[in-house]
Amino acid sequence: MKSLLLPVILLLGDCLAMAASEKQEIPATLEAARELGRQKSRFLHETKAATKADDGIPLANVADFQKLVEPVIKRSCVGCHGPKKAEGKLRLDHLNADLLKGPDVERWREVYNALTKAEMPPEDSLEERLSDSDRATLVLWLGEEIHKASLLRRASKEQSAFRRLTKDETNYALQDILGVDSAFANKLPPETASEDGFKNRSDLLQMSATQFQSYRDIGFEALRRATVHGPRPQPVTYSISMKEQMAMGLSAKAAKPFISGDPASKKHTNQQHLIDTETGMGVQVSEGKALPRDNFAFGQTPPVSPVVWVLPASGEVKLNLDRFLPDDGVMRVRVRAGRSNMNPNEYASLRLVFSAHTSNNASFSQTISPRDIPVTAASDSPEFIHFDIPLSDIQRNPFRKLTTTFPRRDEFLHIKNISNASGGQDRLNVLIDYVEISAPFYEQWPPKSHTDIFFKSIHQEDEQVYGREVLGRFLRRVWRRPAEKQEVEAFMALYSRYRPGFASFEETMVEVLATTLASPEFLYLTPRQAPESARKGPPRIDEPALASRLSFFLWASPPDEELLKLAEAGKLREPGILSAQVKRMLDDPRSKRFVRLFVDQWLGLDRINSVSHLTDADLRAAMLEEPVALFEEILRRDRSIMDFIDCDYAMLNERLAAHYRIPNVYGPHFRKVTIERAANRGGLLPCAAMLTINSDGTDSHPVKRGVWLLQRVLHDPPPPPPPNVPQVDLTDPEILKMTLKERIENHRNQAACASCHSRIDPWGVAFENYDALGAYRTQIKNRPVDATSELFNRQKLAGIDGLKAYLLTERQDQIAQAMVHKLTAYALGRPLSLGDRPDLEQLSARLRQGNDRLSGLIQLIVSSEIFSSKD
Amino acid sequence: MNPKTLSLSRRSFLRGTGLALALPWLETFAASTPSKAGTPKRFLSVYHPDGVGLPLKSDPAWEEWSWFPRGGEKDFELTKVLDVLEPLRSDITVYSGLSHPAARRVHGHSNADQYLTGAAVGGQGPYQNTISLDQVYAEHVGDLTRHASLVMSTNGGVGAPRGAQTQSFNREGRPIPAMNRPRQIFEMLFVTSGTEAAERLARSKSALDLLIDNTRSLKRQLSSRDQETLQHYLDAVRDTEVKLAKAQRWIDTPIPQVDTRNLNLDAEPKEARIYFQTMYELIYLAFLSDTTRVATFQLGRENGEGPHDLLSLAVGLSGAHGLTHAVKKPGGWQNLGTYNRYQAEEFGRFVQRLKDTPEPSGVSNMLDNTFAMHGSASSSFHLSRNYPIISAGGKNLGFTNGRYLKFGKGNEDNQAGAGIDTDAGWNGKIEVEELPLSNLFVTILQRLGVETDTFGGQTGTLSRV
Repeated sequence: MKSLLLPVILLLGDCLAMAASEKQEIPATLEAARELGRQKSRFLHETKAATKADDGIPLANVADFQKLVEPVIKRSCVGCHGPKKAEGKLRLDHLNADLLKGPDVERWREVYNALTKAEMPPEDSLEERLSDSDRATLVLWLGEEIHKASLLRRASKEQSAFRRLTKDETNYALQDILGVDSAFANKLPPETASEDGFKNRSDLLQMSATQFQSYRDIGFEALRRATVHGPRPQPVTYSISMKEQMAMGLSAKAAKPFISGDPASKKHTNQQHLIDTETGMGVQVSEGKALPRDNFAFGQTPPVSPVVWVLPASGEVKLNLDRFLPDDGVMRVRVRAGRSNMNPNEYASLRLVFSAHTSNNASFSQTISPRDIPVTAASDSPEFIHFDIPLSDIQRNPFRKLTTTFPRRDEFLHIKNISNASGGQDRLNVLIDYVEISAPFYEQWPPKSHTDIFFKSIHQEDEQVYGREVLGRFLRRVWRRPAEKQEVEAFMALYSRYRPGFASFEETMVEVLATTLASPEFLYLTPRQAPESARKGPPRIDEPALASRLSFFLWASPPDEELLKLAEAGKLREPGILSAQVKRMLDDPRSKRFVRLFVDQWLGLDRINSVSHLTDADLRAAMLEEPVALFEEILRRDRSIMDFIDCDYAMLNERLAAHYRIPNVYGPHFRKVTIERAANRGGLLPCAAMLTINSDGTDSHPVKRGVWLLQRVLHDPPPPPPPNVPQVDLTDPEILKMTLKERIENHRNQAACASCHSRIDPWGVAFENYDALGAYRTQIKNRPVDATSELFNRQKLAGIDGLKAYLLTERQDQIAQAMVHKLTAYALGRPLSLGDRPDLEQLSARLRQGNDRLSGLIQLIVSSEIFSSKD
Repeated sequence: MNPKTLSLSRRSFLRGTGLALALPWLETFAASTPSKAGTPKRFLSVYHPDGVGLPLKSDPAWEEWSWFPRGGEKDFELTKVLDVLEPLRSDITVYSGLSHPAARRVHGHSNADQYLTGAAVGGQGPYQNTISLDQVYAEHVGDLTRHASLVMSTNGGVGAPRGAQTQSFNREGRPIPAMNRPRQIFEMLFVTSGTEAAERLARSKSALDLLIDNTRSLKRQLSSRDQETLQHYLDAVRDTEVKLAKAQRWIDTPIPQVDTRNLNLDAEPKEARIYFQTMYELIYLAFLSDTTRVATFQLGRENGEGPHDLLSLAVGLSGAHGLTHAVKKPGGWQNLGTYNRYQAEEFGRFVQRLKDTPEPSGVSNMLDNTFAMHGSASSSFHLSRNYPIISAGGKNLGFTNGRYLKFGKGNEDNQAGAGIDTDAGWNGKIEVEELPLSNLFVTILQRLGVETDTFGGQTGTLSRV
């Protein structure tokens, strides 16, 4: 047990310094605040081992409680937390002083936190003032007892990491195992988030018969898409030259032809049109039409045509494809496009939309391309851009197979120009001269997803031998460990039972493989214990289980071949190898999943989807991306997590920069932009997403913002509102006259509300310069914004900079601990408890010693004992 | 023709025709429905979270916007909240004075969990629920239809303990995930049955056996706590086995084709009107085609953000949950009442539809053979007492409608807990006497043909119903 001991009791002086310094002057600049705050870290001071590292069972020190602690509590605390008042429903005279066996350790931890953060006793209660030495007595005793209690809990396996894969993980696992890009698991029911916001927590992931049935359906469907049988299907192919479209356009009854250069042509050329750049002949056009071509070899590169479809910003090539696209398979769309100018501040990209208009008021359209693809080539040397769209994933015209012509059966593909270009002389247009569409499209035949399962083998002719090979390989991917011989045999027996019902080996095997995708070892992350060794300490998981834990952490998906091989060879845990693997995994694009899932859940970003006052879809998307991009920047550039509190840059695209009134940011992609202090941005706190989700639909909501900060950033969630809290009575005319801030203050002044709200509201009031969508403001209803507030401990906060300065000066350790808690909880997928405290404290110390680097924290977590631990 | 080909061709037929060619149900499939004893008896429960408006008599809003009717059993008068049901007056019953004793001091935010179960789900600590009313009936009657029950909610899934997003709980007290996407529900009911072919069922059976073996060997690796988690999986597999055995009997029964004109399968909760109507229509079609006889539908979840909070957009109000908090704002009671009125209106539309549809067996109309209830487990703000419940239909089951039935003592004017808009209420002293809602549940079960005299730990029926 000695090796696990991290001294919790920090130099008492530190602790007191922290308490006493809470009201110190905050440095003038945020840089200085960050520097000073770092110096104050208790984790950076050499700590002495205050607790003896006993090998025996720790015992509660009740004697010291009675002798030293209880008298102080009676003197300074019981007045409010005792028989007379019981503020916050806490009665210190009733708490059991045995933290090791008693039931009150969690309450004592709250007491400890309130004391160390100098929140208690309140400043205004003169008679209950706590002298520095009394505070030290309480903190010292509590710290020691909590530490002993946590060690005791650690040995008692409170929490389990055995858990089902989440919906997202199931999706990614199927995509990675089968090599098919589709959102298979969307039909699974949504997961429940823990109080930390995470959706991968073992005790909240449930299972039911309906859900089990969904897994079976999903697995079968995914395999059906990954594999093929029979000869290569004849694709439906469209080859669309703009020359033909122009001919059709000119022959239309209401054709509007024009000659380029004519004074009258301007009204046409400002809109989308077809034009022959050699002759100057043009025609305005709203939609084109095409039919499939027989025996057409897809992938042509015809000479660049002088006839082009010209798309101004928001213009589109709308193509009526009639009703011939197949039901499923991938549709590949190739578009040859170029830009009319190369102005670096303007961008243009292509988006695919699919639609049908079946009868009056019965139409639909949806964006089918997962992301817009920028057009980068010049119009005199256009280049192909391609999209791959799984047809069975998109809304199709349900009438397309009717034999009658009504309702309408045709389907439309729109190639849309998404651009920030404005008008003017040399406006940026996209010029398209050729489009090809083919479905079902296969890069190769049979596709790689098929040959990954049904690979070449010399035993291919012998179903019994080959079947075992196929199963063995597949099971290893699905179970994330080698399957044993008898396990393969059991599935082979199933194969033999199924075989008579099917025409081919492959069809039969797909049925069997689908069963493996509903098996418990696919659906559940199993912490298999490593074989007993001479090693001391708590039981660890074996290396394949470690590989799984690692890959579900950083990729939300099973380990790849390299990880599996290392694990099977027993080499994964070697320190150099493990850290190199983490680095490799973070460099892999799959790590983007981790970033997105973690940030979304940590910050509760999905709440933005139920916000009714945000109607601009581009702004919403940009808001969602900003914190993800910030996390990614901090992670990939080895920056400090204190950048989340403040930094001199922001992650922006054009839409968001416009919202923030930051000039000269062009294009839809996110990039790092260095900002001035006057921009009032930098870090997570002024991100529009946070400010928007914590609004009430019309205005800022300081209480929500305060709770959000406490819960998400400081990991110090306030207790839920107690009963008997009066509502703000808005029928009272006096109250109606007040500003929101005044109302909140009024509410807080009522005794029943004060104890909680004084801990919440001041944090939120500091954000008052941001409106319900996170835009900066200096006035509310023609009155200047008052974003000053006073924390419970009399600390004054002046607006966002004051808040940042305070956090950086006084709360760096807490921020680091919060980050450790959040990332570790996500990494382990289980609730963290008191028993995890020693490990978490150690991680926090090392994070701080490593200059708070986020990338370093991930390495620290992965290499920690807690990450390898079975429970 | 082997069964597999048959089913595939039926499926592709359906796909090929899209949703346009709806065949009248009666002509095509009435004859091929397996013979079942008599006319179906159906049960529906619609649940809405967050309760209703209950202003004090002294409040000017009381006159129009208090949910409960005024007057006596027969001569009752509906306020503005329920006046949309006036045309159906003789087909409905309004109840007061009922609640689940185990939950009378539970915070309203946990109420969706216990409305149909009556369980003491408590406010904290370990959580255990019990079987819901609909599932008791489904156990009794489920084998007669392709689907034992239809479980729907706007939010879908199961939610969290004390934050249910489903009204239905199985015998183990585990939540049954609710479906929330009209298209998925439609496909489950009328397109893919999951029971396509006998072959596939037989294969499923062997696959399940193998998975159970896998589970056993995995179990040996796990701690006892993890074995419990795995037990959920094993239970799910076994439940699936039971379903398969049942499905076996449905293989030769064609999937009914229904009139899809009133469906809008891509509707989402934020398009509240279309979404509500489509969901109700799915229940109607499932009942009409005798695809199931049991349905539950939860409109949103208690306390929280999410799609349901946008449902009130249907009447131009934002934040459904917020309405209950805002009753003291100007127009607050009216806003809440307007939203409740809208819920009643949609329920009424559904009831009217049942009433207008002759029972396929020929025995009067569908409403007379259906007991449909609509309610919440909160009355005033977060208060888990005096549930506001309306029921409709069930004449042939023995229900006499056109009545306002007051139960309990001391709260004849529904003023206990009225006017509160704070959490002081839910935890307050119980001053009036209410009867257990489970007594009504026992009455319902008995009339549906289930032999029982207890539900949720309460014995006995409710007199006068």
